[in-house]
Amino acid sequence: MNWDIQRRETWLYEANPSLKLIVLVMLFFAVLFIHNPNVLINVSLALFVLFCFGTGYPANVLFWLFLPFFLVFVSTASSMMMFGEGTTTWFRWGLIHVTAESFWRGVHIGFRALALGLLGLIFSLTTRPVPLFYSLMQQLRLKPKYAYSFLAAVRLLPIMLEEFQAIRYALTVRGVPNKGVLSKMKRYAIPLLSQSIRRAQRIAVAMEAKQFSGSGRRTFYYEIGFGKYDIWLVALFAALMFAAYYVGVHYPYISISDVR
Amino acid sequence: MKQAIAIDRLRLKFPGSDGLLFRDLSLSIAEGEKVLLLGPSGCGKSTLLQVMAGIIPHSIDVPMKAERLKRPERWGYVFQDPDAQFCMPYADEEIAFALENRSVPRHEMPVRIRALLNQVGLEIAPHTDIHTLSGGMKQRLALASVLALEPDVLFLDEPTALLDEEGTKAVWQTVKKVGRGKTVIIVEHKIDHVLDFVDRIVLFGRDGRIIADGEAKAVFSDYKDVIAAEGIWYPGVWDDYDRTARQRTRHQGEELLRLDRFRGFRGREAKIYVPKATVHAGEWIAVTGKNGAGKSTLLHALMQLIRTDGEYMLLGADIKRQHPIYRHIAFVFQNPEWQFVAHSVREELAYSLRLEGRPEAEIEETITRLLREFDLVEQQDQHPYQLSVGQKRRLSVAASIVAGQRLFLLDEPTFGQDAKNTFALLAMLESYREQGAAIIMVTHDEQIVRRFATRRWVVEDGALVRDERLAAVEPVLAEGGTWR
Repeated sequence: MNWDIQRRETWLYEANPSLKLIVLVMLFFAVLFIHNPNVLINVSLALFVLFCFGTGYPANVLFWLFLPFFLVFVSTASSMMMFGEGTTTWFRWGLIHVTAESFWRGVHIGFRALALGLLGLIFSLTTRPVPLFYSLMQQLRLKPKYAYSFLAAVRLLPIMLEEFQAIRYALTVRGVPNKGVLSKMKRYAIPLLSQSIRRAQRIAVAMEAKQFSGSGRRTFYYEIGFGKYDIWLVALFAALMFAAYYVGVHYPYISISDVR
Repeated sequence: MKQAIAIDRLRLKFPGSDGLLFRDLSLSIAEGEKVLLLGPSGCGKSTLLQVMAGIIPHSIDVPMKAERLKRPERWGYVFQDPDAQFCMPYADEEIAFALENRSVPRHEMPVRIRALLNQVGLEIAPHTDIHTLSGGMKQRLALASVLALEPDVLFLDEPTALLDEEGTKAVWQTVKKVGRGKTVIIVEHKIDHVLDFVDRIVLFGRDGRIIADGEAKAVFSDYKDVIAAEGIWYPGVWDDYDRTARQRTRHQGEELLRLDRFRGFRGREAKIYVPKATVHAGEWIAVTGKNGAGKSTLLHALMQLIRTDGEYMLLGADIKRQHPIYRHIAFVFQNPEWQFVAHSVREELAYSLRLEGRPEAEIEETITRLLREFDLVEQQDQHPYQLSVGQKRRLSVAASIVAGQRLFLLDEPTFGQDAKNTFALLAMLESYREQGAAIIMVTHDEQIVRRFATRRWVVEDGALVRDERLAAVEPVLAEGGTWR
């Protein structure tokens, strides 16, 4: 079975993964502390554009990846809108009480969830696991023990997907009724886990048999350094944040500058 | 000669088991020797191999004691499961992992990786996704990454148990080439390709004691009965089987299945095409073809696990009106564990019958009969996962055919089985065929095709390209005479 998705590797793939991680985590916290909805909307839009054109994935894949985050956006925004507090009532029906304040707060929270989701997507879509863990070992001194364990686990995922498919067929063949979330989970989880645990233990033994010690001196097949794309990366995100802030403050969509 | 490995009075016990696995076992192996460890499954050969390498107790903690233990300093170990010895996604990265562990300078790595791939005869680009390799190629890659450690001693723990014939051959050819000048210690059940390579055989008994130890040819001929009784695949095993095989009776019955311009789809793509084919009761059809040709897809299409179009008549009616299909066709997967749904062997057999609401008395009767037929009486209360490889396979077949289906689809059912289990399984299938079932079986094993199949379907590039009666079988069958 083929789980590969055709993609074009953009320059974001070439940036140092550790640096990218740090920059995006910093942005993550920055987004938490933006209280001006105008700025936040701009940030979200900018990240959305980057998500669409900077990750190199085809449009249909992007659509399906984005869909759950869009649903999170709608659900957080709407629940905040309908059950929030405020003085300027727009609409009231039973428990539902929409006020101007709660409406804008809802929009704000929704965009915040969206921006955080997009940051995560951009990072995970443009970072290959092998360079990421090599970089974490080289730049952030992650212990090889953890790095290679993660990489081994990543290798197990496609194997598990194939097994999942096979179990599905096997259960159909036996005439197992395809209902009941709990019994279904048990039917899939037990064979999948028993295989994976055994396989993981064997891989661990095989790794040690290849003189892997988990710590100590080692050389690296890939040396992950820094280059011009790292400057681009920092510049891009700095410009993005500055522009979002500038436009948001000077050309606001709405007159509220702080939703608190 | 210098000793590569020496063990004096080894005692070892697995936690939770009663009794020692080894009681005062002593063994020494000289440098450059090629040794084959033989014995029944569960006798501790693999454990001993792990003790010699130091995996026990360094990586796997098992209580053990020995008066003297000399282990090699530089060694490499190839394991049985091709999917459970790599930690990196790409071939070059996997070999590099071993080089990194030895602190080989980075600039030397690409050259060495290419040389190692060359050495094991893998003609692939170094940066190839391991997931796309066949089992035989994966095992040779494992060998390459082990050779990156520059070992003096090679430990091979059933490296071809999960490979087809072609992969098995390629792996042993490679081992013969790269093993020159090294000490090689092998545990293996399929010894046809190994016998002319090893110079010494150590034969273990069921209790973990050494029965015989000496020059390979001598041990093999002196202890052939013991070796045969343990289900080991030795050269000439099929000839011996033929001598004991009983008569086969002909049974060509009514048409069970008819296909006409039949296609099976994965996603939007047609992955298998059958122009025309029929299957009659009493036929044994071997589906053969290269890896990835579409043999399993054909079975999936017949079982309606994937979308199909074209004509498909089953037992005289259109397939769409034969729902649910598992009442008419039994399907056996390559890995028996995937199919298990119950918590004991008994319940596993009863599952399909209970689902159909058959009366309890009938269920009891059927189960008792199947337990006996498939030699699982003693295991009836065990959890299916606790069974041996052979027992699991037998149970998966028994549980699939329990509903009295006329048509059996089997995807490499003899894969990874020892000779004894293979013969037992084939005999069971044969008895069902004689009673009027039809068997469609994917297999790589020409020996089985030659002896059991009445017809062969050849699948190539996603299409059934040849449907041939096996001439060697036909006259014998027509007379109902003796086999051979």
